[in-house]
Amino acid sequence: MTRALSMDSYLLADAKGVVAQAKAGDPAGFEALYRAFESPVYNLCRRICRTAEDAEDVLQETFLEVCRSIGQFREDGSLWGWVRTIAASKALMRLRRNKYRDTDELQDGIVVGRARDDHHLRMDLEAALERLPEVSRAVVWLHDVEGYTHEEIAGMMGKTASFSKSQLARAHARLRRWLGEEPVG
Amino acid sequence: MTHLTIEQLIGQREPGVEPGDQAARVHLEACESCRAELDRLHQRVARLKALPALRPSRDRWPVIRARLVAERRALRMQRIRRVALAGLAAAASVTLVVTLRDVAAPEPASAATEISRAMERSRALERTIDLYHPESRVLDGRTARIAQEIEDRIAALDRELELLDVAEDAARDTRQLRLWRERVGLLDALVDVHLTRASNVGL
Repeated sequence: MTRALSMDSYLLADAKGVVAQAKAGDPAGFEALYRAFESPVYNLCRRICRTAEDAEDVLQETFLEVCRSIGQFREDGSLWGWVRTIAASKALMRLRRNKYRDTDELQDGIVVGRARDDHHLRMDLEAALERLPEVSRAVVWLHDVEGYTHEEIAGMMGKTASFSKSQLARAHARLRRWLGEEPVG
Repeated sequence: MTHLTIEQLIGQREPGVEPGDQAARVHLEACESCRAELDRLHQRVARLKALPALRPSRDRWPVIRARLVAERRALRMQRIRRVALAGLAAAASVTLVVTLRDVAAPEPASAATEISRAMERSRALERTIDLYHPESRVLDGRTARIAQEIEDRIAALDRELELLDVAEDAARDTRQLRLWRERVGLLDALVDVHLTRASNVGL
């Protein structure tokens, strides 16, 4: 949360003033919030969602929610942390709506089927991340980049912390393979 | 020698100590291969964090703003409809109360009581005018003319009231009440003329 707090002042110099403006229903306040957080919110959504179109839809839904609910934002917390949680929840909701492939059997089948090819595969990180199944990619991003705990991820996904941990481990095993980082011998 | 699993390695990066962490730590100190694997994990996470930020291909703000404006307008209409409904309900309940009062309310105050109230009000207004000492004040022509006109009408009413006092009429109380109420109205107007001047009275 400390990192999120420092992000507030980095993304929005006058966060307090803008929040007060938005809470008063001033459209300029809403737009200032959008302009400040548009990029990080889209980046988060794009890393979780399957397509750019989905990510843009989630970006829009996130800011509609932010503008509607800004009155509920408690100013003792991080504004970015609050906006980010809305965005992450919306993106995960989109994954569920699109009926993501979250069965390990199916994932393992796909990966095992490609295993021989993967042995010679060397991807860059961006491509490897993109290739991960949606849920694994979401867990990797939320945990390793955004800094959510397994318990927080589990809460947002409606799963257990163990589910989050095992998804993260599987994802790293695949990334390691696809990136050609397998230990020799 | 059994090396650490990827889950155990990730566990080393987590805050807090879980069962098995201590044993994994001891193994890490002794195993160069696992330490190298943990380094690779650290580097992978660092590279993930360093990936370039992706940006939307188009500005979504105009769409969001339009949606917000539409929602606000719909909310306002909803409020107006709610207030209108509440108004209709209030009007309906007032009608009901009035109807019920007409049916069941006690008789209104008698004409005699109403007359004495009007007389009392009339005296109070005369006292107010007396306190103002109109005879010692200089009025402009228009104000003086209006005041005179009102005083003449009051004098005419007084004559009618005197005549009614001696009349034997079934509707005497009703007529007397009407005259006294008219007198109160004229005195009110006279107070206004003296205190606020004719320009504000609108006569």
